[in-house]
Amino acid sequence: MLGLLQKIWMEVRWPVLWLSLGLCAIMGLLTALLPKVLGNIHQMFDKMPMVKPLLTALLGVDPGDQVSAQLSQAFLWVHPTVLTLLWAHEVMYCSRMPAGEVDRGTADFLLCLPVSRWSVFCSETIGWLVSGLMILSLGYVGHLVASQFVQPGMRLSMLHTLMVMANLVAVYLAVGSFAFLISAFSDRRGRAIGVVFTVLLASFLLNFLAQFQDWAKSISPWLSVMEYYRPAIIIQTGVFPWGDVGVLLASSAVLWLASGMVFRTRSICTV
Amino acid sequence: MQVVETRQLCRSYGSRRGITDINLTISPGEIFGFLGPNGAGKSTTIRVLMGLLRAGSGVAQIFGRDCWSEGTEIRREVGYVAGDVRLYPWLTTRRALAMLSRIHGRSLNQKGFELAERFRLEPELPVRKMSRGNRQKVALVLALAHEPKLVILDEPTSGLDPLMQDTLMSCLREMAVSGRTVMFSSHTLSEVESLCDRIAIVRNGRIVEDSTVSRLKAQAPRQIVVTLHDGQDHRNLKWPESVVVKSVPNSSSQQIIAESTSGLGVNREQICMLELVGSSVSFMSWAAAQGFADIMIGPPSLDVLFRKYYETSTEAA
Repeated sequence: MLGLLQKIWMEVRWPVLWLSLGLCAIMGLLTALLPKVLGNIHQMFDKMPMVKPLLTALLGVDPGDQVSAQLSQAFLWVHPTVLTLLWAHEVMYCSRMPAGEVDRGTADFLLCLPVSRWSVFCSETIGWLVSGLMILSLGYVGHLVASQFVQPGMRLSMLHTLMVMANLVAVYLAVGSFAFLISAFSDRRGRAIGVVFTVLLASFLLNFLAQFQDWAKSISPWLSVMEYYRPAIIIQTGVFPWGDVGVLLASSAVLWLASGMVFRTRSICTV
Repeated sequence: MQVVETRQLCRSYGSRRGITDINLTISPGEIFGFLGPNGAGKSTTIRVLMGLLRAGSGVAQIFGRDCWSEGTEIRREVGYVAGDVRLYPWLTTRRALAMLSRIHGRSLNQKGFELAERFRLEPELPVRKMSRGNRQKVALVLALAHEPKLVILDEPTSGLDPLMQDTLMSCLREMAVSGRTVMFSSHTLSEVESLCDRIAIVRNGRIVEDSTVSRLKAQAPRQIVVTLHDGQDHRNLKWPESVVVKSVPNSSSQQIIAESTSGLGVNREQICMLELVGSSVSFMSWAAAQGFADIMIGPPSLDVLFRKYYETSTEAA
């Protein structure tokens, strides 16, 4: 497996490094700027009424007319840029194998090495977990450094931050496992990326629509991953969302296992 | 125990034909040629053997193990070069050998670099900067570096210059001498003819011929050029049954031959072009009694035999 990990490292090291530094910079900037921007949010609510439902959809709770300092920190963890960077990484990473390998024709070389398909799949999983943790950790570092420059009352406690991050890791696992499953069925990486991206976008929109439409509200718990990621509630209540994290982890375990089974039993066709 | 064995092996791609009832056996130390026109089913058979494709039905075994369920163990002892070699752009020969050494759990550097030198490869050059031929050479080095008991090569000479083709042939002959087995797929007969002990020809997904090279040569037709004496009329000749008359004097093809050989001073001769199937002895004794001006008999041409399969395949398509 070391040889396979070496191969993965050679392929993903630069994208992971750039994404990590990008998330670090963005988290730092958002941590420093969000309290100032959201401090005057009531003026924006007056001028652009659509902003409030959007914020409510992202946070999962109604921020009221004023956004508290802590809620502004919660917004940091659901900011579209942060989620986009994280999801972009996993959609790109998890579609590499087998869809990407078949697409570029290197699957023959990889799968004719004396390693089982499970070993290949597990080493890809290790790479996915390690790279995700690296990106999230550097994002956290950016947040931590920038926190030193905001007023102490606006800082989030370490415990709350870790709880939010644990929830975000669960989201990361669920989205990545889903991307692995789509990739396992596909021979074209572009197609796999397209499907995962579309589903994520639909999930995001559904979460937004659920604020206004009853039908969307009723199906959102089944189809929207954001339904299980509520940093604002964690920060407000201080309670770890065992239920949400459990659902996300169980889903990711099922999806991951299914991906492995599909990959192990499928034929690799190039004709 | 056979090195490779397939029985009634079938595999289709939905409604498209793949392979049907492929029966093959390859013995230890054999160099086995797998021939057929493009799309005949060579690569599909090989991909089933390598565990990339799951067989629809039938048995595919290497070293007595099932190619699908025991692929990992099999691949420890098999070297494989795909028909269309694609490698990672960042891969260099050195990095690839380091990676393979880790996977095999032993250093492959000595043999690997020896092969790289033989194939004139730069160990530090990444694949993205390599020509097609050099990429092919890297794939060959990686397939041979762990000194496998069986090498499966799917059209390995494509992209190689003639010198490197010779180097590859030497490597494969050395392997066979040391008791290793080679399965060599190609649609170029001459290279298979010069290398292989046994040949199977696949057409439309089925094996249509599986024989030793010497036996195939015995079946292969020979070209015969008979020059008649002045005044000798070919219409009075009763050709033996083993002979197929391709052209006689005054036929258009004969005219072309006569014109093309005018530089040799034979344009005024009467030439009959024949094709002989089987032994030349009986033909020679018949020909001796005819009083021809000259007879030229070419060697058995597997090329003609193979073309016959190709043409039939094209007609069927």
